[in-house]
Amino acid sequence: MVTRWLGDKKWLFVPAGIFLLIGLFFVLNSSPAYALDESNCLQCHGNAGLTKTDNVGQKVSLYVSEKSINTAAHRYVDCTSCHSAKPHDAAAIPSKESLAQQCGSCHQYEAKLHSQSIHGVQLALGNNEAATCIDCHSADGNPHTIIRTLEYTAPTYKKNIAATCANCHAQEDLMASYGIVEKVYESYMRSFHGKAMELGTYKATELDKATCTNCHGVHDIKAVTDPGSPVAGLDNLSRTCEGCHPGAGVEFAKGFLGHKEASPQNVPAAHYTEIIFSTLLITVVAFGVIIMLLAARKFIANRWKERA
Amino acid sequence: MTTVTRAIPAEKAREEDSITRFDIHQRIQHLFLLLSFVVLVFTGMPMKFAENGVSKWWIGVLGGVEPTRLIHRGAAWVMIVTCVYHVAYLVYNIVVQKKSLTAMVPSKRDFILFIQEIGYFTGLRKEKPRFGRYNWREKFDYWAMFWGIPVMVLSGLVMMFPVFVTNFLPGWVVPVALIAHSDEAMLALTWIVIVHVFFNHFGPGVFPMNPSIFTGKLSRERYMIDHAAEYEKLKG
Repeated sequence: MVTRWLGDKKWLFVPAGIFLLIGLFFVLNSSPAYALDESNCLQCHGNAGLTKTDNVGQKVSLYVSEKSINTAAHRYVDCTSCHSAKPHDAAAIPSKESLAQQCGSCHQYEAKLHSQSIHGVQLALGNNEAATCIDCHSADGNPHTIIRTLEYTAPTYKKNIAATCANCHAQEDLMASYGIVEKVYESYMRSFHGKAMELGTYKATELDKATCTNCHGVHDIKAVTDPGSPVAGLDNLSRTCEGCHPGAGVEFAKGFLGHKEASPQNVPAAHYTEIIFSTLLITVVAFGVIIMLLAARKFIANRWKERA
Repeated sequence: MTTVTRAIPAEKAREEDSITRFDIHQRIQHLFLLLSFVVLVFTGMPMKFAENGVSKWWIGVLGGVEPTRLIHRGAAWVMIVTCVYHVAYLVYNIVVQKKSLTAMVPSKRDFILFIQEIGYFTGLRKEKPRFGRYNWREKFDYWAMFWGIPVMVLSGLVMMFPVFVTNFLPGWVVPVALIAHSDEAMLALTWIVIVHVFFNHFGPGVFPMNPSIFTGKLSRERYMIDHAAEYEKLKG
């Protein structure tokens, strides 16, 4: 085909081939992006075995994975921007709170919102269980592996948010210690919102479904008992619903089961509907199965007799 | 009367040897009910069992949850229109044509025939019950839809327009609609798969299927077996 089209100009294959080879050389020889490392920290800290012994005699890893930092959101922010210009003089290993302050030196708006959130308030009280920046933004709680929210593998990518919250909020014992008895993750995944998210793709344009943060807030998450929470009380809740469901009123919000099972106290109509319909389902299906089995037995017996 | 029921297969019915059982409207109504039902099941069940791997794969094949919902709603409208067609057909035949359509009306006789069939299946009775135009299972299937379809349509519409509905109905109708829709769907599906499919596809002499609802015709021989009482009446 190509030879016919080229006719007697077959020599054109030679420059075309050379062009292709040069192109291939550039494509295949291109190297991945490297993180900015102006002080060559990775020369030592890139070794997986690098550790030190702290003043209580515990081994602490000083390793920073070059592979993950090369794809991290802050790959072009030099190490010394977060660690001081003289990092080896650092007195202590960063705490959860000092880490959050470090992030806040650039991300001031988010830090302010977080400090007023239930997580931030708890953190300021010295509660190390409360979520801070790295708990949500890094898959392994490591500031060096934070990737941008729009990366589909990011723990804060919209489709992954529920699973990220579930890291803590699906731990029954942990939640019980804060008086949160609702199985929030499980009930979300069973809801319209959760199913739509679960069955949806990772396409950013198809993620217009509600996840935890759409109702509860993002950096400014408040306890549901806090009157400032967007889900506290039917008025706040219905206004939050209205954000996505134009015209939704208080009655619409009342249809929400509150992350709980329906019960005689919680939306009794749904509770009794469940009982009526499951009884109906079991009875009718059992009746059908009995009829079918009796008939099948008879039909087989008839066939058997016919053959004999 | 012999107890052997596996007689002549339905599809072997010759033209002159068959009896017209369903008119063109009934056949069209069944066909569209069947098609919409199958589409509704194949789009509804993966949404019910969203956490299942097969559901996720299948919804991916359909192009995501939005196309799935769109197809589900489209099929629902086909089913609704089919039902309206059926009701209009009934009204036309009864009011305008002055026909008395009583064959489907349940009666005490159906209960007797039901007991007789159970007796026959369990071997307590030698003879197959002599059914009329419609046996008790057909009547059950038919009348169950007068419960099932309103439940599915109403609960479906509540979920389709939750904001509009809660303008004048209490908020609990939405979770109630989901429960009713989900359980009633399971009921319809399991009944159809277990009973309807068994008797109309795997019953004696009908495998792979009894095509009379599509062709409208049933062979004289099968009519004698399956609808003995009606057959005698037809012979006069």
